[in-house]
Amino acid sequence: MDLFDILREKAFLGREFLTWLWFRSDRSGGRIDLPGGKVIEVFFLDRMTLDLAEAETPQTVSLKGEQSELREGLAALREGKKIEEARISVRSGDNDFTMNIKATWFSFGSFRTPPVFREDDSDGDDGEGAFLEKVSLIEEGMAAIDALFEHFLRLRVSDEWELSELPALRRWIASSE
Amino acid sequence: MGFASRSVSITRYRVRGEIEGSFWDTVHEGIRKYSFRPVDTSGDEEAMGWTSMYDFTDIEFKGAPYVTGNYVGLALRVDTVRVPPRILEMNLKQETRKLLEETGKRRLSSGQIRDLRERLKESLRKQVFPSIQVFDLIWDTAAAVVYFGSHSVKARERVEDHFKKTFGLNLTPLLPYIRGEEILAQPGERQLLEQLRPSSTAP
Repeated sequence: MDLFDILREKAFLGREFLTWLWFRSDRSGGRIDLPGGKVIEVFFLDRMTLDLAEAETPQTVSLKGEQSELREGLAALREGKKIEEARISVRSGDNDFTMNIKATWFSFGSFRTPPVFREDDSDGDDGEGAFLEKVSLIEEGMAAIDALFEHFLRLRVSDEWELSELPALRRWIASSE
Repeated sequence: MGFASRSVSITRYRVRGEIEGSFWDTVHEGIRKYSFRPVDTSGDEEAMGWTSMYDFTDIEFKGAPYVTGNYVGLALRVDTVRVPPRILEMNLKQETRKLLEETGKRRLSSGQIRDLRERLKESLRKQVFPSIQVFDLIWDTAAAVVYFGSHSVKARERVEDHFKKTFGLNLTPLLPYIRGEEILAQPGERQLLEQLRPSSTAP
């Protein structure tokens, strides 16, 4: 499949990932247990964009504000919309990240890592040290997202999706009324 | 926003392709060849090339090196010199009026107008500040991943093109499905991925 076809036909995969992530995060107080014992904490923050991609004219619902207003997002989910973009926080190990994660391109806006410790300027290669530390933090944040996505993906292609996960997701969406 | 900022935009790419011959020689040669060169005032409207991530005026990388460990850190700088169309038209009208008064003619030929427009464009271009855009890029050569510091479609097209010219390698955006193809690489698994259709999540 070429890039254009993938963007046109498979964009649902990223949106289902974000929708599922919100469901899991909300259901378990933010704690997501991955196979192998790793735990990642995910919280959906004050900004979310939902979209009805399969419609002739996409409708966007943008939410900004207190967490409780995200309940309006659930109303959009009940209409069959999926999350196209969301501001989330991710905690992996000792590090906290926040980001606007975008479903279709799997790209990131306002990606914030913990601050990089800057050595004082008398050290000749503080530029290098700071660079490596920054990259290492970015990669750690990315690794956390990748681990969540892999967990979702394996579930999504398994029988468990239709048998238990999708019904549970639908119940969560319906029950929030 | 550059990667040095607290808050950055990131588009992730998978680097695909093979470098023939010495990897690092090719990298160094490519960067040298495709580094930024300023707009030539007599001709080009756009200049694009690599500069230091730490200083977009450092086009010879005299400051910090661009290789740190397995990472290559660069900035893609794009300078555009553009005379706003209405400014050009305004000057064209003024010069046309002046010429007609001087020569007593009623109007200029289309060839004369064309020449006048070109001359004016050249002289006005010298008075215009270039717009300077800078986009950061970090290439993890060990993991074959590039982190690019922008979402804009135009910026992405530019960097994909310039990266290919510089290193002979392709940048493929790591869309969820493409990442999925990497994770589910076994034939049986791949088929499951290909057969996926959207789920209806509405209750």
